[in-house]
Amino acid sequence: MAAVVETFGLTKIYTLDFLDVEHGRLKLRLGRKRRQRVALQDLSISVEQGEIFGLLGPNGAGKTTTLKILMGIIFPTRGSARILGRPLGDKWAKARLGFLPENPYFYDYLTGREFLKYYGQLYGIPRRERERKAEALLERVGLRDATHLPLKGYSKGMLQRIGLAQALLNNPEIVILDEPQSGLDPLGRKEIRDLILQLREEGKTVFFSSHILSDAELVCDRVAILYAGELRNIGRLTELLSARIKEYEIVARGVPAAILEQWRPRADRLLVEKDNAMIIVRQENEAREILSRLNEVGATLVSFNPRRETLEEYFIAQVRGGTNG
Amino acid sequence: MAKVWAIAFNTFKEAVRNRILYILLIFAIVLLLFSGLARELTISAHEKIIRSLGLGCINIFGLLIAVFVGIGLVYNELDKKTIYTIISKPIDRWQFILGKYFGLLLTIYVNILIMTLFFYFSLYWQTFMGSDALAKVYAAYPPGQAPGALHQMGYCGWSVLRSLGLTLKTLCFFPDQVTADLQIVVVMTCLELAIITAFAVLYSSFSTPTLSAILTVFTFVVGRGNEDIIRYTWYLERKGLTSTAAIVKYHGAQFVAHLAPNLKIFYSDTCNAALSNPPVIVDYYAIAYAAIYSALILSLAVLIFRRRNFK
Repeated sequence: MAAVVETFGLTKIYTLDFLDVEHGRLKLRLGRKRRQRVALQDLSISVEQGEIFGLLGPNGAGKTTTLKILMGIIFPTRGSARILGRPLGDKWAKARLGFLPENPYFYDYLTGREFLKYYGQLYGIPRRERERKAEALLERVGLRDATHLPLKGYSKGMLQRIGLAQALLNNPEIVILDEPQSGLDPLGRKEIRDLILQLREEGKTVFFSSHILSDAELVCDRVAILYAGELRNIGRLTELLSARIKEYEIVARGVPAAILEQWRPRADRLLVEKDNAMIIVRQENEAREILSRLNEVGATLVSFNPRRETLEEYFIAQVRGGTNG
Repeated sequence: MAKVWAIAFNTFKEAVRNRILYILLIFAIVLLLFSGLARELTISAHEKIIRSLGLGCINIFGLLIAVFVGIGLVYNELDKKTIYTIISKPIDRWQFILGKYFGLLLTIYVNILIMTLFFYFSLYWQTFMGSDALAKVYAAYPPGQAPGALHQMGYCGWSVLRSLGLTLKTLCFFPDQVTADLQIVVVMTCLELAIITAFAVLYSSFSTPTLSAILTVFTFVVGRGNEDIIRYTWYLERKGLTSTAAIVKYHGAQFVAHLAPNLKIFYSDTCNAALSNPPVIVDYYAIAYAAIYSALILSLAVLIFRRRNFK
């Protein structure tokens, strides 16, 4: 597959003011080094066509900076990037991109329909097609009933949805989303997840940043982990996360207390809640033995769950500087 | 250019939905309609007072709209981060600046048109309700008898309708002796504001609204007093550039005078028209000056804006 987004040693260094107020205190920064803040350091990644690529990292990791550079909102201090084989800022490439910024703010005096029509004009879409697309997208993002409402009357979830609609107006080849699930309720997050998967099915490349790892794990083909402006790791989720089972979780009802005491030394963790007991063991043979004895001791199996390493656990290990085991 | 117009119309829409515009416009209209009251303050030259007040009102409120709407033009886009989604579209940054400029200019010109309409109406209305006109009405009655309330109301209504009709006729480029010259003056005001608006966009592209407002008003004041600054340099020259202070003052004044726009060229016609000093002629030099100066200032705004990082 061809790379549609490539960055080569992207670096962004912000120059801070000499005099600043930080946490209510006047701060004087003398010297060149003190005035510099590295937001991104030598980032080289490539996003393949048709994949869902997640740029993950905690706040201040450099995710938004990367996306802003790609969209031409800020300029890199060093390095370069190519989108669809074209250099940054190329209008041909921009016409094939869709972008949703973090916590989007739009022209709150426009109605949903006016807003989409205006953005359609900026893409240079002919009037009739613009109107047809605006209606179709409002329908698609579930804002059919809010088309005549000014955007200032929209909730955060509705703004996110209209933001997605504007990012899809030009039927883009690449959709770039900055923290699309940030601040949304579980239902809203699921809708965004479904939409991202749907976009991949349509053959589009989705490149998004997120710090909600559980959601990213569900949709991403590949991820890059950023921390303090530096790339910590990049790869397929299946490659990054350990394929082996990390632990076995057994939940059983009616296990006699004496038996539980016998199993306690073998278990990694053992939790008892009323009649239910949760036994977590690391070895497969231990789990097999416990399962086979449940009938003997007159207990009922409620659930059995072999657990693999999660993206969250991997991520924490990465940002703490540890390696995956 | 289609994208520039899209941004311009959106800017116009934004301004039209801005409350401050209506406050300014209502204030200007009230002032124009009640300009007739000013005639009570003078013994003679009533018409000149009304004309001066009306033209001054259009000029000052045009400037206030340029300042109050223009200063936040680019800043608000950055502050509300709406610029992120605009810049990510297939448009150039110069198209954005040009769109903002034309949008603001459209807002100012539509407002000037409305103010001019009320100004003309006020002028005609004063003609029909002036003492000479009323004396003719009273003359139709026998001595000691005044027209009844119904007649007075009827005359008043008829005057309003005639004033409206004449206003519309004038606006359709058929000026008569009451509004002769004024049309040119309004066009000159529009040209002057084209330069001021370019400055408002320039300042807005790199500074905060407060600083932009101060700088825009400062530019207007310096622009209007440009010829006086030049006269000051002549005065310094005549006195002799003997001391360091005099040399610094001379070169400083020369620098400001050459850098700042000369807005007096748009203003002299306003004075002539207000004082009914004919002839007021179309100044093609002023038109070219406004076009070239605005283009230069906008180019500077584009140069600054092209290099900006939007944090």
